[in-house]
Amino acid sequence: MDNILPKKDLSRWLEKMAHAAVYAPRLVDDIWSYEIVTDPGSVTLEYPMTAVPAKKIIFPQREILFEYGADGDSGPEIKERLPEDKPVVILGLRPCEARAVILTDKVFGGELKDIYYWRRREAVTLVGLVCASPPSANCFCLSVGGSPRSREGLDILLTGLGESYYVQALTPKGEKLVREGGALFRPPQPGEKQSAETIQAESEGKLSRELKDIEDVPRKLKGMFDSPFWDEESLSCIRCGICTYLCPTCHCFDINDEAVSSSPLRGRRVRTWDTCQFPDFTMHSSGHNPRPDKASRLRQRINHKFQYFVETWQCYQCTGCGRCISLCPVGIDIIKVVEKVRDHAS
Amino acid sequence: MVKLEELRKEARRLLAEGEVRCIIGYLRNPADGKAVPGFIRKPEEADALVWDPTCFHNLARFLVDEKRRKAREKNPDTRPVGLVVKGCDSRAVVVLLQEKFIERGDVVLLGLSCEKTGVVDERKLAKAVPGRALRQVEFGGEEEFLVTTEDGQVRIPAGDVLADRCLECPANFPVLSDWLQGEKTKRAPAGLFASVEPFEARSTEEKWDFWLTQLRKCVRCYACRSVCPMCYCDECVVDTINLAVTPDTTAEEKAQKIRWVEKSPVDSENIFYHLVRALHLAGRCVDCGECERACPVNIPLRQLNKKMEKEAKTLFGYDVGFDPDTPALISCFRDEDPQDFIR
Amino acid sequence: MTEEFEPKIVAFLCKWCSSAGSDLAGVSRMEYPPNVVPIQVMCSGSISPLYILSAFNRGADGVLVSGCHPGDCHYIKGNMYARRKLALVKKLLEHVGLESQRFQMSWVSAAEGQKYTQIIKDLVQQLKPLGPQTKLRRID
Repeated sequence: MDNILPKKDLSRWLEKMAHAAVYAPRLVDDIWSYEIVTDPGSVTLEYPMTAVPAKKIIFPQREILFEYGADGDSGPEIKERLPEDKPVVILGLRPCEARAVILTDKVFGGELKDIYYWRRREAVTLVGLVCASPPSANCFCLSVGGSPRSREGLDILLTGLGESYYVQALTPKGEKLVREGGALFRPPQPGEKQSAETIQAESEGKLSRELKDIEDVPRKLKGMFDSPFWDEESLSCIRCGICTYLCPTCHCFDINDEAVSSSPLRGRRVRTWDTCQFPDFTMHSSGHNPRPDKASRLRQRINHKFQYFVETWQCYQCTGCGRCISLCPVGIDIIKVVEKVRDHAS
Repeated sequence: MVKLEELRKEARRLLAEGEVRCIIGYLRNPADGKAVPGFIRKPEEADALVWDPTCFHNLARFLVDEKRRKAREKNPDTRPVGLVVKGCDSRAVVVLLQEKFIERGDVVLLGLSCEKTGVVDERKLAKAVPGRALRQVEFGGEEEFLVTTEDGQVRIPAGDVLADRCLECPANFPVLSDWLQGEKTKRAPAGLFASVEPFEARSTEEKWDFWLTQLRKCVRCYACRSVCPMCYCDECVVDTINLAVTPDTTAEEKAQKIRWVEKSPVDSENIFYHLVRALHLAGRCVDCGECERACPVNIPLRQLNKKMEKEAKTLFGYDVGFDPDTPALISCFRDEDPQDFIR
Repeated sequence: MTEEFEPKIVAFLCKWCSSAGSDLAGVSRMEYPPNVVPIQVMCSGSISPLYILSAFNRGADGVLVSGCHPGDCHYIKGNMYARRKLALVKKLLEHVGLESQRFQMSWVSAAEGQKYTQIIKDLVQQLKPLGPQTKLRRID
């Protein structure tokens, strides 16, 4: 079902979502990020790419898995801590972020579902926004199976039309959220649907970067595992965690026990984000490290995105958001690296 | 006036005569017109070297990588590394020499002076030319930058887009070098430690509110640590595992490793990490500003390190990074060191 | 009936002077508040800023570091290094907004049992009105 929401009524729609935790982009110290809405009147959906992606909402950086304790004679006790059942709305999501959610669903789903992830995943309603112009100078979603107007993974798609939004509800969850807005929404007038479709079609022509002809890259990568190519490309890498922590599809994690006290015994098991770029990520208990240098770690990141994920799920794991390019402190550019792989004489 | 052609000539010569095994300098990234660190090995590659106000990276950081690389190789190339350095970068090299992390013969310093300006702050630059694709930024003579975008060229007063640390720079020319281009100008337009003073004027509770809000944003990506030349420890306080493990290390030894700070990015742990880092860098940080630049969530990290630098100067008369023969700040003392805070 | 807040103080005492001084206070039956958890270290110079930050991280309301007087250090100059290092720690903690009374340093010799008790009494009095230290404390 299609509707029109005047932009001035966005805050009133948000007020009707009081039962849910609503996340929307907010400017904090010159950086945009998805934060819980405290002041519906100040929410704006005119924003560039956020630094931290929306993955932090469905796959938080810190998740308590369970708590353990032993009180005297009763023996040790373990209490599972599942995410609370509160509904969540993410407003103004970029289509690449929604695609990233779909890709991550594959990893945490299947036969062995990750209950923590799915609790949050099922509670969330994704309200997307067409990127009428690229939110980042490094966007290249079209090259990796995405699009600035893609509906993949979204419950609602918004298209900005001057003074209003063209609202397309795509799933029952989306329709429910639109119904909650009640009289704030009205049916589109003739021409408005046409305007929305024009904006959506034009959005695909505005990306300034592309990664062309990469169909053979997965096969090429397989053959380049031992190539000195990776030594050269990783020379300026400083092995921080920016590219991976801020990537919407990266999902590696570490699990640690945080001891609160030893007597009485109390603590919790915590899952936190981790990154293959840290030197100790693959450190074995014996002291052996199969990825001891930057070359192997850069190779790992590129292979995961453009070879391993393709082999398992038949699509790239990269969504072309460009964050790793914009935020890498030393200018390592995944587009350039993959182009060099593509053109590598091997 | 720094002549780029002279730098390229010297780099070409060093590589052609085999005096260095590689040169670490700045190359241009065609995608956005800004400089990025680059490694060149052949004399003909010297033409790719650039020098402009986007050369904000501290290339001394890569001396740490070069040392690790040499340690791993069976027959390492023992020739020195050529390194293009600005004033702040050269002071970082001085600190590495003070600590005997490298020897003077390990590096050939190609020094470039920032003369009357410095380097840009990317966020300030983006605001000065909003929405326009950048092609190039150049030094424009007297305290101006020439910014070329897709729409043409504009002259911008350097003061509008200079990195904050350049405003407090004690010496924007290399203090140590084997080859130097450009005038030696000492200038700190805002005054040394000027940015710390407003912080010091706040009340205890205002200070706390500020730092809690800022450090709460931290995602523990450790870019601040990774980009710093002085954070060269193979095993850091925040690493949860012991990198010095061998097959003979017992389970008990591994279990006994002290975990000072948890990996969780919660307030107390974020604050712990940043305070420890500031203390580990006291008397060693040269305020190259890279930590703050690299931070993806815009935490004003310089304000922690700058305070330590100020105290080193005020309490102990210590200048960071000027003299390789000075002992480290906390491995020396004066009889007259203040003790009014000690009962 | 609310219980009065009793600050928990972690005191790093150098073995040769301050710890001996605290022992002297005990042996001489001098009375002083029981709020201190004493940790003996070989020398005030061996104290890493990590210990102090860790004490606050685990919930200490106050931290005291006490060593030998300048010139009396058992290791000649360990306390001189401590004087420098811990001055920086104090300045940094104040810079981020921790109340300055929470971290203190003192010189206490093996003969100064009386001085030690006075330091502890004063420290407890200064910390009581500040309440529990929640800023750097890890939430459990």
